[in-house]
Amino acid sequence: MGTGGAIDATNAHPAMRSQVNWAVLGLVIQRPSYGYELVQRFERLYGEAIELSSPSQIYTALDALVDRGMIETVPLEELEGGGGRQPKPHYRATADGASGYEQWLICQSQRERSRSRMFAQQLSALAPQAALRVLERWQGALLQQASAPAPRAGESAGADGDSANGLGERLVAEEDRLGIGARLEWIEYARSELLARTQRRPGA
Amino acid sequence: MSVLALERVSKRVRSGAHERVLLRDASLRLHAGELVAVWSVRDGGRCTMLRIAAGIEPLDSGVVSFAGKPLRGHAGELLGRGIGYCRAQLHSQEARAVLDELLVGQLARGVPRRLAQRRALEALERTGATGCAASEFGELDGAEAVRASLARALVLAPKLLVVEDPTRGVDLLARDEILALLRSLADDGGLAVLISVGETTALAGADRALSLSDGVLRGSAAPPLAPVLELRRRAGSAAGASA
Repeated sequence: MGTGGAIDATNAHPAMRSQVNWAVLGLVIQRPSYGYELVQRFERLYGEAIELSSPSQIYTALDALVDRGMIETVPLEELEGGGGRQPKPHYRATADGASGYEQWLICQSQRERSRSRMFAQQLSALAPQAALRVLERWQGALLQQASAPAPRAGESAGADGDSANGLGERLVAEEDRLGIGARLEWIEYARSELLARTQRRPGA
Repeated sequence: MSVLALERVSKRVRSGAHERVLLRDASLRLHAGELVAVWSVRDGGRCTMLRIAAGIEPLDSGVVSFAGKPLRGHAGELLGRGIGYCRAQLHSQEARAVLDELLVGQLARGVPRRLAQRRALEALERTGATGCAASEFGELDGAEAVRASLARALVLAPKLLVVEDPTRGVDLLARDEILALLRSLADDGGLAVLISVGETTALAGADRALSLSDGVLRGSAAPPLAPVLELRRRAGSAAGASA
């Protein structure tokens, strides 16, 4: 298994589309874990973005990931303390799982890009005055988001080591800040273009 | 009452045959304990706006008020008393240690030397610049220069602190500490703090983020109104109260 890397894993099955599956895979890559703990981590980290209809979705995702050879159960003897009184199946990522996840992340960032491009195209279909109103509303929302407090260094949400010294939170926050900033700058540019088109740029 | 209020302020600058509008009927209110950040692209007018708010730069029309009184005519007096203006790049012409730099302004205002010295050391401690006391401004790194120049403004106990681009030239990993310091000056010190930023990442943590382009100030111009609290009726008086 796993000689051909992620390509085999994805060719053997239809492309994995479930956001839940990918999110669970990411959590297992971050740290080998068992079902119940994964449910909790999932809800804490992704609860806002992905709504679960039931916690059983996590178990379904685990089965699907095992099926695809992206994760595997950790043999009992390798578990610390033998897994306790009632050993729970712990999952860890396979090499295929890790590389598949990496490729998926790259695709995701490209999709994000095409979504932004689509928005720009759709905006340009509007009459300049209408487009300016859309920008105005959007900018107001972005300015509010931009002033959200930055997490302090050393602050950690989870005491379970999900983020070493809050590093995860800080990286996420910086990504957010830069993303919001890029959009604010883009809005300034788009507004200049639109104002120039209305041919009544004040003060010019 | 607002510590700072800009009402329909306009400002144009002329360069050669061209005229640019830096502020067009811009209004802004700033309360004690508030941190407001203004972002613009380079040369977008944010620094001019801050200098107008601090009473340094004249305006074409509109009113700037400090603590309810129009600044016109008082600006010179207030700068350095009620209003602290801070720019890290603002170095003294003479080579002087940071501590001496913090003394000069006070001594000029008649503060006794010993008291001036104590206040200077306190201000440096407050901004985390104690280690810079003996250095000259020119020797400091970006973050140190900001901390030292904040201390220079704080030593005169302002109510309004106007800070030009506090994160410019500051190392990325030191940026959030500077922002946290400004936040704490508003939160713990009760100052009204107005800053300009060139990078949108430095808007984080402000009570309100504004943007300035083409002379138009966007974002929330005034602090949000305090939430309306519904008064709880006392048991027994409900019927009478609602009548």
